[in-house]
Amino acid sequence: MSEEILKAITQLFAIISKQDGGVSDNERGFAINFFQQELEKSTVDEYLKLYDEISGYIGQTDKHEDDRSNKPTSVKDSIRTLAICKKINKTLTQKQKVVVLIKILELVSSDKQFTNQRMEIVNTVSTVFNIIQDEYKLIESFVVSEQISSLNFSDILIANEGNQAATPLQKHMHAHVDGHFVFLQVSSVGMYFVKYLGKDSNNLNGFTMKPSRVYLFSQGSIIKTPDGGALYYSDLVADFNAEIRTIKLSFVAKIDEFIFPNGAIGIRDVKIAEGPGKLIGIMGASGAGKTTLLNILAGLEKPGKGTIKINGFDIHADKSKVEGVIGYVAQDDLLIEELTVYQNLYYNAKLCFAQLKEAEIHERVMKALEDLGLDHRKDLKVGSILDKQISGGQRKRLNIALELIREPAILFLDEPTSGLSSRDSENVIDLLKELSLKGKLIFVVIHQPSSDIYKMFDKMILMDTGGYPTYYGNPVAAVTYFKKATNQVDSGRGQCEVCGNVNPEQIFNIIEARVVDEYGQPTNKRKVTPMQWNEMFKSNFKPALIEKTHEEPPQSLHLPSRLSQAIIFTKRNFLAKLSNKQYLLINLLEAPTLAILLAFIIKYKSAPSGKEYLFRYNENLPAFMLMAIIVALFMGLTVSAEEIIRDRKILKRESFLNLSWSSYLISKLAILFLLSAIQTFTFIIIGNWILEIQGMTLAFWFVLFTTSCFANVLGLNISSAFNSAVTVYILIPLLLIPQMILSGLLFDFDKLNELLSTKGKVPLMADLMTSRWAYEAIAVYQFKNNEYQKTYYDYERNEAEADFRSAYLADELKKKNQFLIDTYDSKEDSILQIQKINKQILFTELKNESFKAGISEVDMNSVFIQNGYTPKIGAQLNQYLDDYKKHYQKEYNANSDLIEKKMAFYQSQGFDIQQEKNSYFNESLSDLVRNVSAKERIMEYQGMLIQHIDPVFQSPNPKHFADYRTAFFFPEKNLFGLTVSTYTFNLVVIWCMTTIFFIALYFEVLRRIVGIFGQFSLSLKK
Amino acid sequence: MQTLNLPDLELTPAVELNKEKNIFRIEGKSLLDKPTAFFEQIKHWFQTYKSEPNPETVLVIKFEYFNIATSRELLDIFKILETLPKAKIIWHFLEDDEDMEESGQELAELVKVPFDFQPY
Repeated sequence: MSEEILKAITQLFAIISKQDGGVSDNERGFAINFFQQELEKSTVDEYLKLYDEISGYIGQTDKHEDDRSNKPTSVKDSIRTLAICKKINKTLTQKQKVVVLIKILELVSSDKQFTNQRMEIVNTVSTVFNIIQDEYKLIESFVVSEQISSLNFSDILIANEGNQAATPLQKHMHAHVDGHFVFLQVSSVGMYFVKYLGKDSNNLNGFTMKPSRVYLFSQGSIIKTPDGGALYYSDLVADFNAEIRTIKLSFVAKIDEFIFPNGAIGIRDVKIAEGPGKLIGIMGASGAGKTTLLNILAGLEKPGKGTIKINGFDIHADKSKVEGVIGYVAQDDLLIEELTVYQNLYYNAKLCFAQLKEAEIHERVMKALEDLGLDHRKDLKVGSILDKQISGGQRKRLNIALELIREPAILFLDEPTSGLSSRDSENVIDLLKELSLKGKLIFVVIHQPSSDIYKMFDKMILMDTGGYPTYYGNPVAAVTYFKKATNQVDSGRGQCEVCGNVNPEQIFNIIEARVVDEYGQPTNKRKVTPMQWNEMFKSNFKPALIEKTHEEPPQSLHLPSRLSQAIIFTKRNFLAKLSNKQYLLINLLEAPTLAILLAFIIKYKSAPSGKEYLFRYNENLPAFMLMAIIVALFMGLTVSAEEIIRDRKILKRESFLNLSWSSYLISKLAILFLLSAIQTFTFIIIGNWILEIQGMTLAFWFVLFTTSCFANVLGLNISSAFNSAVTVYILIPLLLIPQMILSGLLFDFDKLNELLSTKGKVPLMADLMTSRWAYEAIAVYQFKNNEYQKTYYDYERNEAEADFRSAYLADELKKKNQFLIDTYDSKEDSILQIQKINKQILFTELKNESFKAGISEVDMNSVFIQNGYTPKIGAQLNQYLDDYKKHYQKEYNANSDLIEKKMAFYQSQGFDIQQEKNSYFNESLSDLVRNVSAKERIMEYQGMLIQHIDPVFQSPNPKHFADYRTAFFFPEKNLFGLTVSTYTFNLVVIWCMTTIFFIALYFEVLRRIVGIFGQFSLSLKK
Repeated sequence: MQTLNLPDLELTPAVELNKEKNIFRIEGKSLLDKPTAFFEQIKHWFQTYKSEPNPETVLVIKFEYFNIATSRELLDIFKILETLPKAKIIWHFLEDDEDMEESGQELAELVKVPFDFQPY
């Protein structure tokens, strides 16, 4: 208390004392007593002088009873009282003002002169102090009254030998005491006062209590009666708060043994039984298993042997019954850094309370913010640890608020005060204390608490190294317990006599005291081992009996439907992304920048004359298409790879809510797909514009978008499987390089390792690559569907087919036939072998041939399969093959003519065919998809002739219903009997892959696999 | 706006609050144990007046005696005056009533309105 305030109080004392006939010795004695309590000896006189001066004690002659007349308070005293109170109002807190008021009332009652004037002044003081009238009456009665029967208030509690309260409203508590303890609760400030009416010498926090004097009953206080009984603050508070008693909550933990994955024992034989309205601390040396114990109690880890039951329901076996009952605040931040304080809370509330309206949720959020003193910070972004926008204490409080807003009945907090200033720590624990007074059961792991914080706990659980419990009970009594156990002097006192401080460090000094060697150096050996402490604990403590309830625990959770959860998640996610300017800017600018860079570099004066750019002659188009796909994959992966890792902690907290994982994933996809759509669109629109690729934008975009979406889901998979962003980013090349190798452009599929390749088909391994499907789709689509080509594609296809047959196939078949004729009589095995293959090839090629002039009556089956081949038939076939060649030459010419005529027709219509070809058609791409560079146009492979050139003009030839395989750049594919364009087919394939990966993500397949690997390597070490 | 005219009674002071004539006056003695209701009408009058005040407001206070409960009410009224333009309080006291003079001085320290002390 400052000098100024003490002076003010002295003046108040004096003004009140002088009313109605002057100061009495009792009053003056009270004032002296007060000064002695508050001041050093040397200054007491100074204040007493001031008191005497104002009260007129000096010069006050002998008093006569009739002097104590009803002389009204002088105007000057009134105004001075007013001025003093106003001054006090400016500096003292409401709690301090209540104390001042009680002191004044005590002063008045010290002489029992309750005259009108005095009481009016006191009343004025209380009004100016903004103490409500009802509460003033309560306080006045409490201080003044000597009879418990005259105290009929619900905020009064009497502790005595009796069995029931003296008045209807009063609360009562049974205690072994001579006389009565009267407790007062001042609910507006949450303070408790006590006075003792009786003759015994009781002890409050180590001080003797004078009868009839009012004492502040602060947090952690203990009253001890001469016969050894004790009244604890926590019990009293629980008795005052009737609502707690109506809450049905029992928490019973019985952990026989908990073993870490590495085989060490974490927790041994812990039994905890608690009801509602308790704040319980868990303390212990580092490595004693505090956090482990908390995690087991909260149900994050399963106790090896033992059970955790809430209202009789096992938290692991009857999960659904205890849903939402438990709240958990981890040591690290679980905030979404990109959102504001308000938004963090708001979306959390939205996920918890489906039944509340928007306005109600807003109200709840605002109330939580006000309760935690964060309301004026509500629009600040939380920010990362490095880029702090709100202070550490505020972060912590916000973390707690996230859990508090849904009001779980049982709350677990892991070191909520670590890293906070002592003021912030106290605020946090204050808040928890308040919650416990509302009936919550709260467990807190706490490290090095200050005296004030330590005393706020109702109970303390102490753990010793190796997971041994060593204490479970009242915190202040812990000090005396350990002092007694080691026979220390002064063991009866738990707190400092002068300041009331408790030193929790003392306990650990005792527990961990070390044996000293003969040189006085502490050794490594402990005086009392954890086992010995544990033995002592077992013989001294029996777990309290808790009123067992078996009704469902109070639930505060109303989860929204999966769809609304997904919407809430998406909104939250979207806002977070929007507010991260850097992220947004980079992701939105990345695609156009790459497009400009790429397209600008590969655009050159490609016309044969070298004077201008012509799309038709740009040899870089095939490479551009591949790059576009790689860019889509890369952007898709990078944008998603970190997503789930960043949310891990938040997911851990939200796991207590049983929110829908699929809703969460869908919200991720919604945002990522949207981003992919924008990125690929900006990329392709700019790329196509610079390179003058016309009429392809939507088709290209959809392929790139599809690819990017696949990459998003792939990225989410690895993001969910690994624990660090670095690992994930290292993985990206591992995923991307195979996509490049097996894209089909860089390395010819026919020239790969024999183990992988199948001649004439895309290798199966490449079929696993998105890039190959995407590339084929784009390339084939661009070739087949461009403005120029689409007019002639069908004719050119027929032309190419006829050309192949007449120019290559006819000769090849004739060669085979000639060999059969020439070696008809041979008996050599090697020749017979070749004969068989040749017959097989002729059979395959001719059986489905539509042109059959001259051989229509020949039965292919009997000729080639059943040894019906004769030289005569051979000669017939030779003749046929000559006709075959001529037929297809004619066919070729016919189609060429058609094309020319068509061109001539369009030219006559005013179209510039050449111009059109320059704008839409690309020579390099055409060379690529027609495979003109192939040296062997036709090739024999496993009894078949494979056409190497013109894949884009060929048709699939499925061997069975589900055979989709073709060579690269086929224009169509077989989809279960249907012939589907390659573009459609390939996109369907990629979306199927995306779906499969999404399912894998839902079941966290990759994470499980990685987990198995992790265990494997650990067990190798052992 | 309506004027507030209250007669001088045994326990309450005379009050005249008249915007048109620019007269603001509280005079006499105040002894009510619970004066809140009585002073509420004065406070209410000033609250209404506050929305359209005269360019200058001079409140004349002339008390023989008031009790402690009244002192609180007076302070409240003076606080309202703080919000008015060019407000002033004329504090009358009996020439030899030092108590009343000093009380006025203490009150003057509690509010921002200038006081003019005039003995009578």
